[in-house]
Amino acid sequence: MSEKATAVSIRIGSIFVLIGVWYLFAKLMADVEVLPGPLAIAHAIWGVLVEPGPEGKSAYFHVGITLGRTFITFGVAMVLGIAIGLTMGLRKVIEYSMMSLIPLALTMPTILMVFLAVMWFGFNEIGSLVAVVGVVTPYVAVNIFQGAQAMDKSVIDMARVFRADKKMLIRKVYIPQLLPYIFSAFRFAFGMTWKIVALAETFGIKYGIGYMFFFWFEQFNMELVLAWIIMFVILMLILEHGVFARLEHAAFKWRPANKLQT
Amino acid sequence: MKSLNLKPGLVPGVVTILVSLIIWQVASLFFIPVFLPGPVYLIDLIVEVYSDPASYSVIWQTLTRIFNGLVLCMLIGTSIGILMGIRKNFESFMDSWIMVLLTFPAICWAFLSVLWFGLSEWAPMLTVILIVFPFVSMNIWEGTKALEKELVDMATVYRSDKWSMLRKVLIPQLMPYIFSAMRIALSLSWKIVLVGEAFGVSSGVGQKLIYWFEETRVDMMLTWGLSFMVLMVVIELLVFRLWERHTFAWRHQIAN
Amino acid sequence: MPTDKNNGHGNTVVDVKNLTKKFPDPMTGEEFVVLDAISLSVEKGKFASIVGPSGCGKSTLLNIIAGIETHDPSDGGTLDVYSDSEVAEPRVGYVFQNARLLNWLTVEDNMIFALESQGISKDLWRERVDKYLEMVGLEGQQKNYPLNLSGGMQQRVAIARALAIEPDILLMDEPFSHLDEITARKMRFDLMEILMRANPTILFITHDLGEAVFLADNIYMMSTKPARIFKQIEVDVPRPRKPEDPKIFDLEKELVREFFSVLDAQELEDG
Repeated sequence: MSEKATAVSIRIGSIFVLIGVWYLFAKLMADVEVLPGPLAIAHAIWGVLVEPGPEGKSAYFHVGITLGRTFITFGVAMVLGIAIGLTMGLRKVIEYSMMSLIPLALTMPTILMVFLAVMWFGFNEIGSLVAVVGVVTPYVAVNIFQGAQAMDKSVIDMARVFRADKKMLIRKVYIPQLLPYIFSAFRFAFGMTWKIVALAETFGIKYGIGYMFFFWFEQFNMELVLAWIIMFVILMLILEHGVFARLEHAAFKWRPANKLQT
Repeated sequence: MKSLNLKPGLVPGVVTILVSLIIWQVASLFFIPVFLPGPVYLIDLIVEVYSDPASYSVIWQTLTRIFNGLVLCMLIGTSIGILMGIRKNFESFMDSWIMVLLTFPAICWAFLSVLWFGLSEWAPMLTVILIVFPFVSMNIWEGTKALEKELVDMATVYRSDKWSMLRKVLIPQLMPYIFSAMRIALSLSWKIVLVGEAFGVSSGVGQKLIYWFEETRVDMMLTWGLSFMVLMVVIELLVFRLWERHTFAWRHQIAN
Repeated sequence: MPTDKNNGHGNTVVDVKNLTKKFPDPMTGEEFVVLDAISLSVEKGKFASIVGPSGCGKSTLLNIIAGIETHDPSDGGTLDVYSDSEVAEPRVGYVFQNARLLNWLTVEDNMIFALESQGISKDLWRERVDKYLEMVGLEGQQKNYPLNLSGGMQQRVAIARALAIEPDILLMDEPFSHLDEITARKMRFDLMEILMRANPTILFITHDLGEAVFLADNIYMMSTKPARIFKQIEVDVPRPRKPEDPKIFDLEKELVREFFSVLDAQELEDG
C-alpha cells in the first residue's frame, strides 16, 4: 500500500475506532442520562432534523438564525477590521493611536465582552453584533495591519510611474497583496464569530443553536445536548474546511503549485 | 538638534488613552453607575472589593484552576504533539481529530462537563484542557516535524538510540516551540476558565461574573473582570519575560 | 513632473539642464549633493545611455525624470519632458532592475494595468498586448502568470509592458543587471532588434560600459560623489551591431581607460 493510501485508511479507521470506543463506554455505563451511545445520538439527530422542536420551531429555523447572525456580524467585523488595519498601515498616527488600545481589546475575555454587550445593547441582534465586533475586529485589524506593512513598496512605485489612479492602486495592487492576510483573518475570524454568537445565544438572545444548547442543558437532556453539539460542529467543519478552503484555493491560482506550501 | 529620546508613537498613544478615558468618564455621567460606571467610580469600587479578604480567595481559586489546567494541557498536548511529529501513523490517526477539537466552542465542553461531573472542580478544568491542549499539540507537532529530518539524519550518522535522541536532542531543540505553546496556552486558558466557572462551579472569578450579570450589575462585572484582566496581563508579562530571558540566555549570547 | 507641450523644442524629448539634487543626511541633518549640475538631452528615436559606477545617483536621476522623486527648483536646474501629442501629458515607460510585475495578474493583465493607468482606449489593448508580447518573444504567454516564468522572461514582460503604452520616453534602470550573463547577452541582442523595429526613445542606465557601447547612440559618462557628467560621446556605428565589431571593441577599451583616469584623479583629490 502506498504511503498516501495508508494515511487515508488510518484516518478513516480513526473514525471507527472513536465510534467503537464511544459505543463500548456507553454500553458499560448503561446510563443514557450520562453517556448516550452513538446509535441513540444518531436517532436523536434524526429526530431533531425531522420533527419540530420546542415552541414548534424546527432545527432549520435555529440553524438559519445562528448562521444569519454569524454571517452578518462576521461581515461587519471583517469590513471594520480591514478598514482599520489598512488605515493603520497607511497612516503612522493612526497606527500609534490604535496600538495603544488594541492590546487592551485583545486581552478582553470573550465572556466579559458578551456580558457587557448584551447588558448595554440588549438581548437582541445589536447585542450579539457588538459582542462579535468587540472581540473579532481587533484581531482582524492587527492581521491586516501586518499585511499592509509587508506590502512590496517597489510595486507601488511601479504603479505610480505608470500613473495608476487611486482606484486601480487599491483594486490591483493593495488588495491582491493583502489577500493572503485577509484570507487568514477570514478563517480565524469566522471560527471566533460563530463561537461568540453561540455564547451570546446561550446567555439569553432568543433562538439559534446556542439557545437550544442551553434549553436542553437546563433540562439535563444529555442526548439532545450532544445531538445539537455534534450537528453544529459538523456544520462548522464543513464551512471552515470545505467551503473556505476551496474559495482560498481559487483566489491563489496565480501561485505556482510548488510555492503554495510556503 | 538632538531631541528628547522619546519612543516614536508615545505621544499619540498616550493622547489616545487619555482621550478614551475622558470620553468614558463623560459618558458615564449620563447613566447610573450600575449601568455604566466611569473610571473614577470603578477605581473606588475596586479598592472597596479588594479590601475584603474573601476576594483574594476567589482570585486564588481561579488561579489554582488555571495553573492545574495549564500543567495538564502542557503534558497532554506536548506528548501528543511529539508523537504526531515522529510517528507518521499516529499523525494520520490524530490530525483530523485535532481539527475537530479546535472547532469545538468552550461552551459545549462547559455544558458537557457539568452534565458528566456535576458542579465539581473537574468541570472547569476539563473545559480548559479540552479547549487548550489541541493548540499546544498543533504547535509542538509543527515544531517536531520541522526538526525531525535533521534528527533522522543525525541518528543514522551517530547510530544513537531513539530514547536518548528524544531526551538529548529533540526536547532541547523543541524548547522554543514548547515555550510559545505555553504562552498561547496561558493566554487562552485564563479566558476559558472563566467560561467553565460560569457554568460548572459555584466559586471563582467566572462565577462572580455570571452572578453579577444575572443581577444586572455592570459595575461589579467590570470590577471583577477588569481587575482580573490586569492581574493576568501582569502575570503573563512578568513571568514569561523573566523566564524567556533565563531559558534562552545562550541565544542572546550568540546574538551579541 | 515638470512638463511642456510640443513647441519649439525641435526633436528633443528629454531636456535636463543644470539639475542639482540634495539629500539631507539622516545622521547629521546636513544636506549633501547627490546630483551636481547634470545636463543631458535625449533626441526623439535615439538611445541615450548614462554610465557610472554603482551608487553614483543614476537611479535618482531616472526617478526624478519619471516623477517618483522630486527635485527642488531652488537648487538650480530645469527638467522638461516633451510629448509629441498636443493634448496629452508625455508618456513615460519604465523598466526597473527587477521586473516588478503584479504576480497575481496574468501577463496580459499586467500589460493592461499599464495601458489602463495611462488612459489608453480599451479598443487598443488587445492589439497592443499581442504586438509587444510578440516583439519581446513571448507570443502565446498572455494567460500565463508571472511566477511561472523565468527571471529573463519576467523582465521581457516588463519591457513589453513599458513598450505597450508607446511611451514618449522609455527609461531603463540597469534592466539586465539581475540576470545571469548568458540571458543578459541574449536580451541585449533582442533589445537591439526591438530598437530597429519600433524605434523608441530610450534613456538607459548601466554600470556596464560594454553594454552601453553596444546599445547606445550616445553615452553620458558620470562620476560619483557627487554625480557629474564628465564626458559625452556619440557611438557612430549602424545597427545591427556586433559586440566583436572592432569599432565597438576599441571604443569600449578607450572609455574604460578614460573612466579609470577620472576616478583615480577624483580619489587623489579626496585624499
